[in-house]
Amino acid sequence: MTLINLAFKSIINRKASVLLTLFTIAISVMLLLSIERVRQEAKQSFSNTISGTDLIVGARTGDIQLLLSSVFRIGHANNGLSWQSYEYIKAQKGVAWTIPISLGDSHKGFSVLGSDDNYFRHYRYGSKQTLQFEHGRPYHNAQEVVIGSEVAKQLHYYLGQEIVVAHGMGNTSFHHHDDNPLVIVGILEPTGTPVDKTLHVPLKAIELMHGPKHSTQHIAGRKDSSEDHDHDHDHDHDHDHDHDHDHQSQNLENLNSQPGDLIGQPKQITAFLMGFESPFYTLQIRRNINIYKPEALSAIMPGVTLRELWGMLDIIEKILLLFSGVVVLISLLGMLTTLLSSLNQRRRELAILRSVGARPRHIFALMTSEAVLITALGCMLGVALFYSLIIIGKGVLQAQFGISITISMLSSYELLLLGVIMVSGTFIGAIPAIRAYFYSLNDGMSIKV
Amino acid sequence: MIQISDLTFSWPGQSNPTLQIKDLQIKTGERLFLHGPSGSGKSTLLSLLAGIQCAQQGNIKILNEDLSALNDAKRDKFRADHIGTIFQNFNLLPYLSPIDNVVLGCNFSKRRQANLKTEGATATSQATRLLDELGLDKNTQHRAVNELSIGQQQRVAAARAFIGRPEFIIADEPTSALDADNRDIFIRQLFEQAQQYQATILFVSHDASLAPLFDRKVSLADINGASL
Repeated sequence: MTLINLAFKSIINRKASVLLTLFTIAISVMLLLSIERVRQEAKQSFSNTISGTDLIVGARTGDIQLLLSSVFRIGHANNGLSWQSYEYIKAQKGVAWTIPISLGDSHKGFSVLGSDDNYFRHYRYGSKQTLQFEHGRPYHNAQEVVIGSEVAKQLHYYLGQEIVVAHGMGNTSFHHHDDNPLVIVGILEPTGTPVDKTLHVPLKAIELMHGPKHSTQHIAGRKDSSEDHDHDHDHDHDHDHDHDHDHQSQNLENLNSQPGDLIGQPKQITAFLMGFESPFYTLQIRRNINIYKPEALSAIMPGVTLRELWGMLDIIEKILLLFSGVVVLISLLGMLTTLLSSLNQRRRELAILRSVGARPRHIFALMTSEAVLITALGCMLGVALFYSLIIIGKGVLQAQFGISITISMLSSYELLLLGVIMVSGTFIGAIPAIRAYFYSLNDGMSIKV
Repeated sequence: MIQISDLTFSWPGQSNPTLQIKDLQIKTGERLFLHGPSGSGKSTLLSLLAGIQCAQQGNIKILNEDLSALNDAKRDKFRADHIGTIFQNFNLLPYLSPIDNVVLGCNFSKRRQANLKTEGATATSQATRLLDELGLDKNTQHRAVNELSIGQQQRVAAARAFIGRPEFIIADEPTSALDADNRDIFIRQLFEQAQQYQATILFVSHDASLAPLFDRKVSLADINGASL
């Protein structure tokens, strides 16, 4: 019988207190791994939000505020920038592409983003991935909308459906652009970025929404099914399922449209994204924009500002890790308390082992291996609980916080954290082991307790 | 086999010695009965013989090995290899089966394991055989130790002492919890095993009525100069 076997049987003999210790360690390991995984995934989805864009230009404001409003749809841009300025900067030498962005409207709490067809051509996220269509195609005219995957999922929208957008942000809006129903012509594949929660319309559609009240402009060649509808399309998703199917087949004909003007005559846009033919132009044009006389503008490099923003969140990240570290430490101290309190009762057991020839170093090894076993079992149980938690909590995290958690093997950093817990458990286990060592030297074979 | 000469031992902090033994010799295969009242130093003598404690003066030679010349680790090894102990309270590990308790005696001694190998036995087969010989049936050998009667526990403790053929068996008041009939049966079985394994027995008890069963009787009070 090996020492490990003996330690295991001894643990089984004290299962009640050991189980409690084991669960404490398991829960702390679960907490540590969960916080670490959420942190990593949040960081990942954060830095994946935009890529391949060299500059973001908007009205003069703070770099982070411009990034938050234009990319993350968080907060509002204080001012817009004039279309003339956009046209001027766009025409500069070295500019490969631009994507105008007009924000400020919403639909049932989801942002509405006005742009042109460059958006689907040049917008990149993650590792310079382009936007892909799960269904449908980009918009061709001002009566069409392309929705993000989360919008489609949460509002149960389908291709060909007509929707109405509201002026302003937020879930409740008092001014609905009832006279400008838009047809869903495309649903994007999930990206794990704010694009999933955005409705994309042409700039002209934004202009029409905000312009004087007028009738819906129907595009030649598209069968107008909206005439048969109640115009309060906001309630479409509440219809019963069969009725939805009727709508679906009927409205798919809405997709047969012809290209029309996407831009119109906008006066202002919120911001625009720029890509250059060579990185060489980035700093030069950025400088020019920042000193642009006709209008006060800001140009930011998204990569740099993303890092700045994450740097601001660094302290929260560290506090979270510190808390989970403290939880792990408390659980290990709990193990120490359990082992120390049981030690006095176990002096008899140690003396028996001494009488059959166990050396003090065997007693030390036995006690340490018990602590290692408890820590290892606690870690294993903690990992199992962690995976159970992310399987259960995945949906909630995605829905509530937009953090997409991938169920993957433990990363090297997570394994390193487990390693640190194992080493700490061993060291903490060595404390009662050292006491047991000296007890066994003093007690010898005489059972004093 | 065992030779004690000019031994003096005092517990730390005590001015008077607990043990002063001029001379005690035990021959190989001898069954010695060491008798003495409580507090006479019996347990102290046993811990000196087992190498747990070290005498301040004099020496103890077991199998021609001077224990006082060995360091702590070597004394531990010597005990594991050559000495089997049967305690008054049996001192079995409650979370191990009788078989596992017996096998435990081999865990810490390569010599005992080598002895088993020479006999062509494994620790488990030897443990089973010892328990069989001591009258513990097969079913009982795998039951929980705390479900055994006192007599059965005592046999497990004896089997644990004998496994791997140690040359010297210390029995520290092993029969104090047994009635007269069971006590005699146990001692007979102990002797049979000792004879079979050619082991020397030092049997310690305060019950002088057991003395006639042994080859020789020694009263600790007679040989311990410290108590005179």
